Amino acid sequence: METIVDLLQSIADGLLFGATYSLIGIGFTLVFGVMHKINMAYAAASVAGAYAGLTLLELAALPGPMVILTACLAGAVFGLAIYYLCFRLIPLSHPLATLMSTVGMLLLVDEIVVHLTAGMPVNYPTVVRGMVSFGSFLLRGDLMFIFAVAVLTMAALMYLIYRTRLGLATRAVSQQPVAAQLCGMSLGQVNALTFTLTGALGGIAGALIGSAVGLLSPLLIAPLTVKGLIVTVIGGLGSIPGAIIAGLLVGAAENVFQFMRGVTERDIYVMLLLFVFLVFRPGGILGTDPARN
Amino acid sequence: MDFYLGLLQIIGVHTLLGLSAYVLLLTGQVSLAQAGFMAIGAYVSAMLTVLARWALLPSLLAGGAVAAVVACLVGFPALRVRGLMLVVATLAFGEAVRLFFFNFDYQIAMGGIRVGPLGGEGFRQIRYFPENGWTTFEVMLFIWMVVGAVMAALWWMDRSRAGAVLRAVGEDEVAAQSAGLNLTAVKVSAMTLGGFIGGVAGGLYAHYTTHIEQGNFNVLVATFAIAYPILGGLSNVFGTLAAVVFIQGFLIEGLRFLGDWRNLLFGALIVLAMNVRPSGLLDAKSMAKDLSALRRLLEAVRDGVATRWLIERLKDARAEARRLLAKWRGAFGA
Amino acid sequence: MLELVDLSKHFGGVRAVDSVSLHVEMGEIYGLIGPNGSGKSTIVNLITGLIEPTSGRIVLDGRDVSGLATHQRVAHGIARTFQNIRLFGQLTVWQNLWVAENRDRQQRAQPVLPRWLWGSEADRERLGAALEFSGLGHKRDDLAADLSFGEQRRLELARALAAEPKLLLLDEPAAGMNVQEVEELDARIRRVRDTGVTVLLIEHHMELVMAVTDRIGVLNFGQKIAEGSPATVQNDAKVREAYLGTAA
Repeated sequence: METIVDLLQSIADGLLFGATYSLIGIGFTLVFGVMHKINMAYAAASVAGAYAGLTLLELAALPGPMVILTACLAGAVFGLAIYYLCFRLIPLSHPLATLMSTVGMLLLVDEIVVHLTAGMPVNYPTVVRGMVSFGSFLLRGDLMFIFAVAVLTMAALMYLIYRTRLGLATRAVSQQPVAAQLCGMSLGQVNALTFTLTGALGGIAGALIGSAVGLLSPLLIAPLTVKGLIVTVIGGLGSIPGAIIAGLLVGAAENVFQFMRGVTERDIYVMLLLFVFLVFRPGGILGTDPARN
Repeated sequence: MDFYLGLLQIIGVHTLLGLSAYVLLLTGQVSLAQAGFMAIGAYVSAMLTVLARWALLPSLLAGGAVAAVVACLVGFPALRVRGLMLVVATLAFGEAVRLFFFNFDYQIAMGGIRVGPLGGEGFRQIRYFPENGWTTFEVMLFIWMVVGAVMAALWWMDRSRAGAVLRAVGEDEVAAQSAGLNLTAVKVSAMTLGGFIGGVAGGLYAHYTTHIEQGNFNVLVATFAIAYPILGGLSNVFGTLAAVVFIQGFLIEGLRFLGDWRNLLFGALIVLAMNVRPSGLLDAKSMAKDLSALRRLLEAVRDGVATRWLIERLKDARAEARRLLAKWRGAFGA
Repeated sequence: MLELVDLSKHFGGVRAVDSVSLHVEMGEIYGLIGPNGSGKSTIVNLITGLIEPTSGRIVLDGRDVSGLATHQRVAHGIARTFQNIRLFGQLTVWQNLWVAENRDRQQRAQPVLPRWLWGSEADRERLGAALEFSGLGHKRDDLAADLSFGEQRRLELARALAAEPKLLLLDEPAAGMNVQEVEELDARIRRVRDTGVTVLLIEHHMELVMAVTDRIGVLNFGQKIAEGSPATVQNDAKVREAYLGTAA
């Protein structure tokens, strides 16, 4: 009996935390959907956004929970910067160059963060404390808050994409860039806005992760990049609903693996999960059929 | 002196690492798994020389062979994922290998102490070279003989039909199939060859550093692996070599006075390089264009028309600058 | 030589190819025409194996090739050119021919590894002759991307022939050509047929089709609506209706 409750606990905690993975996954998948390229520096920018958000918070002497807002703003700025530095000026005929430049950016951001913080982890405000308990089954307050914020963010995003003109423009550009341009849409503007949007998303995700863990460290960047990409692939490249589901799945699975085999082996099984999907469903949970050509 | 020998050793091993990614890039497969193959080769060959007391060359080859077999197995599912998904899949695989070795223990008692890989601690006391009286110079020479052999083999392959086949698949898979090429065979073969070279690189690395651990084969190393051929251009193997020399020699060691900021500069350099010269900073074809421009300048000097030639070039430069400015303005405005 | 038996390809609700049956005799030049969207390109992709049929079979020289991968069909003797030229731009003219492979024939001549690594003398002679045949001998070491449009078309054809096919599929080879070039194309197609290769020609260019083909099949909305000699097809009311849209 004890173990089953513990297992359920792991799953619940994992699901709630997994919402942040969903946000990161959405960020990767949106950029892929619009530009057919992966922004390898995305998770790094998210963490950097969280750091910057914290700094802004302290500078402006704002209350703790506002860190989500400041991180969101910082993330948006970083997202736009990445667009100009890594995507705007490199011709489409050199996809490797874009990939490499985002990798370079990932290293750059990682190093900057390490330098500015002297490599020491930084405490992050936890927004909500306390928990709700059902016997020995606990629902952590902070995780529930994170889940709620993440869900709200995703809802706002879906609204933006499916019910506004900006979102329409984004979808048009991703489906038919040439036709979209012929209809008068500025490709550069739409792409820049997409990056700003995903940057904001990333900033929120970074802040939420920081809250959940209680601190921020540059060591978060690499695993977050890998897990974010795994979520994107499992969910199907280009599919936002897929990323949402996959994020929750990976969050829950990760916790279950940890519960069963411990922290050091946990990530191996997450990779295995990815490979299972790649073998049986390379298009992802909700992805489009992998194109023939 | 030892410092420069050490630098040459690093350059040598990293050249092999870059070449293992080069072979795959020719077929259009971007792989972040090469550090993983390097790890496999490192651990296998080290275990053979230390635990089974094998000679060096057979151990290196065995390390490469095991890495090649794993690469071959990876190659098949890799076919099912295209382009960017492959990047993610190989990244995950590389990380999985690293994590595997993080948890890998295999120690036996030898001569009163326990030797062998020990999880997070890594694999210490890989003492083949010291035990057999190799000097640092001899080790460096040996590494470069291997590098030379691999480069010669790949150079020759590039000029053979195999090279054309690899590049054809990398350029246009549909056309390649329709011309009768077996995509599966070509891509899996490339992956296997890349795995072998990466494994040999790992074996050499393990023996000259005498101590390896999972952190030596992380995402950063995997990134270096593809950075070299991308920055060096895919025209030929020398581009990769030049990129390694440039990055390791000039950037990381030559800029040591910058201390910790070197890595920052590395990241910034990559971003800059990809914007300025997307086909590769040291790509042979682009450099050929630069060299012929230089040649024309020298000819102009020789013919005494240097001033006129320079004025013409300045006019061209001004037009080019105007064009670039318009492009930048467009980037920020449009 | 080639037989399509009740071949169908559905993309969701769209019937790109709808129960098409036809057969092409050995040594003939068979033309496939039809308005845009009638399924011509889909049929080519089905025959070469780039897409899988929803139902039906493809039989080449008595052998059912429906389940085979593209490169295996090439080994059995099918080759094609592309409507929008798909050359290997970064390879030289020579290399473009060199990579074309008909595994079956060549494997009988020489074992795999040496052929893969350094090619064979016989290959070099054969490809050298192919280069001369298409008038590209002097451009041997130029990059395919640097050739003129006409030269690129010739190279496409040469590459297809380099695979030593029994059946050659030409996908709108006359697109973008002027009158003189079309005349040269006509002559080249006849020369190819004279070497014993069967030709399936997909084209829009009516004069060329009427002049060079032995028989023509007409597609509309994925179905075969007429078949016969050029004269017969020209006078067919259904064909006129398909192209002109009115009952003439």
